Amino acid sequence: MKRGDSLYRRLLGWLLLPLLVLGSLILIQAWVDAQRTADRAFDRLLEAASLAIAEQVQWQDDRLWLDLPPAALDMLATDAEERVFYSLVDGQGRLITGNADLPGDPRQSLGGADTLLYRHLDWQGLSLRQGIRRTRLEDWRVREPFEVRVAHSREGRDALAAELWRANLAMILAMAALATVGLLLAIRAALTPLTRLRRAIRARDPRTLAPLELSLPRELAELRDTVNELLARMRRVRANQERFIGDASHQLRTPLAGLSARAELALRQDDPARWKEALVAMQATSARTARLAVQLLSLTRLANPEYRPDLVPLELNAIARQAVRDHWASCHRQGVDLGVETTGGEVWIPGLDWLLAEAIGNLIDNACRYGGRRVTVRVEDGPPRLVVEDDGPGIPESRRLLMLRPFHRDRDDAEGSGLGLAIVDGIARTHGARLQLSSGHDGRGLRVALQFPGEAP
Amino acid sequence: MNMYRPGRLVCRWLLLLILVATTAGADQTLHVPATPGSGSGASLVIHGALDLPQMRPLLAGFHREHPDLEVRYRNLTTLALHERFMAAPDEADVLLSSAMPWQYRLANAGHARSLESSAARRWPAWARWRHELFAITFEPIVMVVNEAVIERFGEVRGHADLLVLLERHAETLKDRVVTYDPATSGAGYTYAIEESRLSPRYWDLVAALGQAEAELVETTGEMLDGLIEGRYLVGYNLLGSYARDRLADQPQLRIVVPEDYALVTQRLALIPRQAPHPAAAERFLDYLIGETGQAVLARETTLGAIHPALEGPGTATSLRQERGEALRPITLGPGLLATLDDLKREALLTRWQREFSRREAR
Repeated sequence: MKRGDSLYRRLLGWLLLPLLVLGSLILIQAWVDAQRTADRAFDRLLEAASLAIAEQVQWQDDRLWLDLPPAALDMLATDAEERVFYSLVDGQGRLITGNADLPGDPRQSLGGADTLLYRHLDWQGLSLRQGIRRTRLEDWRVREPFEVRVAHSREGRDALAAELWRANLAMILAMAALATVGLLLAIRAALTPLTRLRRAIRARDPRTLAPLELSLPRELAELRDTVNELLARMRRVRANQERFIGDASHQLRTPLAGLSARAELALRQDDPARWKEALVAMQATSARTARLAVQLLSLTRLANPEYRPDLVPLELNAIARQAVRDHWASCHRQGVDLGVETTGGEVWIPGLDWLLAEAIGNLIDNACRYGGRRVTVRVEDGPPRLVVEDDGPGIPESRRLLMLRPFHRDRDDAEGSGLGLAIVDGIARTHGARLQLSSGHDGRGLRVALQFPGEAP
Repeated sequence: MNMYRPGRLVCRWLLLLILVATTAGADQTLHVPATPGSGSGASLVIHGALDLPQMRPLLAGFHREHPDLEVRYRNLTTLALHERFMAAPDEADVLLSSAMPWQYRLANAGHARSLESSAARRWPAWARWRHELFAITFEPIVMVVNEAVIERFGEVRGHADLLVLLERHAETLKDRVVTYDPATSGAGYTYAIEESRLSPRYWDLVAALGQAEAELVETTGEMLDGLIEGRYLVGYNLLGSYARDRLADQPQLRIVVPEDYALVTQRLALIPRQAPHPAAAERFLDYLIGETGQAVLARETTLGAIHPALEGPGTATSLRQERGEALRPITLGPGLLATLDDLKREALLTRWQREFSRREAR
């Protein structure tokens, strides 16, 4: 959203930065090269001048003698009017002649070979390039070694180096400009599909969840497919919600319609005994409807993925015993044998007691409702597990998953809401527990187990 | 204006009086005081190897342009000038010398200050080195021949004619030819080394001079004295500027600017790096290479003006029109350093001596 943070800018930045570094390196290299080339060209002058002088060195009157050729000095100066220095030094380092006592060749003697050394020299505040020719007389008897030292100031070299560098600079700058333009066009072209994707998304009807149909490069196609998957999931969720709402309204409408019919029927009567009978029936129906509403509410809440209640450590055996105590009377009335099996030690899990009580209640209720005559609530340890088992007809394996869907009932049943197992499933998920449906003892009945994760804290 | 004029006139007179007065001293100096009330009172010290009669109009012209500057000029020989500078490099603001190699060596060693003015940039490249050394005069090296010789033996137009003359009439001209002694005169040595570079036949000329037993002297002045007195009939390698000055009223002596080649020597000016008054020095040098100073040089001295805009008598332009390619100004370049090489000097003088006495010995 911020102007500073755009893909275009990022790409441009990250591509231009290395380009800039590279360009600078090339420029430095060009500068070094230009200086080297200029030095090579001008060193020829030092070589020629020192040779011209060395050729004039003779042995005369028992000492080194030089008839200095003026041309040798003239050739050291170019149009740049360099300052020129020269000296002739004998084997012992004594100055024979010259206009400057230039420092000598720091290398060790290399025998009689004619050697030439070039070097930079800062001498009396002047920046010079020096050439030192070390050689010896080629006389029949005298083979006196000597050094010819010539030097000139750097104006000509600097001018040539600057000229070479400027020529290079123009080329490098032109290349950099071309590269930048190319880069800009390339990035723009590469980011075009992104713009298309954005436009395609923006142009959509906000209510539609239809997949995006758009041909894109691979990286963006992945993004498109991911978006399409998300849309598909949202479609399924919405379908589920719509069905849920439909089922829920249907479920609430039936008892309300019953209430309405019952009231209407009672109003036609004059006998108060009938009225009372009707009121009793209406009270039962409204209580059931209220319970249905509560169940719908808790299911909605449990189905909300944002719902993350704070879990507290609970002792499973106590929960199981309390639940059996709560439900024993009603089961007993229906002739159902409700029992509890607990472990020897305590089993602690993180959870919410009222949710677990609700789950056990639902399971016991289901077992009683669907023909169980003997219902056992059992706590197991390692891993901690809460099991409710009955000896009813059970559910075939193929239909067990279906039972977890809200409002799904195995058979017509006016009393049941079809929410029981769905709610238990929601509670299990809230606790991070796994809900397992299996056959009961001896392959009969239904065994529902909530397996909690890990050991109790 | 009317009020102002008499004041200026008085100033002029004062100036002239002072100029005259100071030249009387044994120590050759000129002193031009700043016009009173003209402000700054800055001063300028010039050391030069330029005789007072030539220098006086130049300084007067400078004073007209810059009346606020007090100028002290000291005339020295080229050698004394150089030694004095080496002893006290912060004494003078401007060094003016005809000893080109010495001036060049100073500039080459970095003793000179660069002058970056528009006049300096316009100055012809052949007459300056960098912006540090400026040639301000254009003085051909000439021969002076007595008309009697020409009448008897024909025209002497160049070196070739002189060589023939000396070879054919060595007996007649014996002791009547005069030239520089390169061993004692710096200028003579410089010309010898330049000429030996210009032409291999120079050595024949030296031999011919030896054959005629030419007199060897130290200065152009001595040569001119002898020529005027009639002791000498032919003078070889005289400084043209001095000859023109002295021989203006000597019709029997003809100044010959050689047709084949004529060396041209130039006085070089530089501002020392340690000049005490560099700003004043720059003004003076700017004046010297500016049109005004050069016009004074052309009009009131015999030194020869270089400025390309000037034409007419006393300018390089007119001399070039007359002599063209034959004029060989001594190149302002590192070659001058060779002139100062001790061994080179020894070698050249030995050769010169050998050539000079070649035919004598026979």
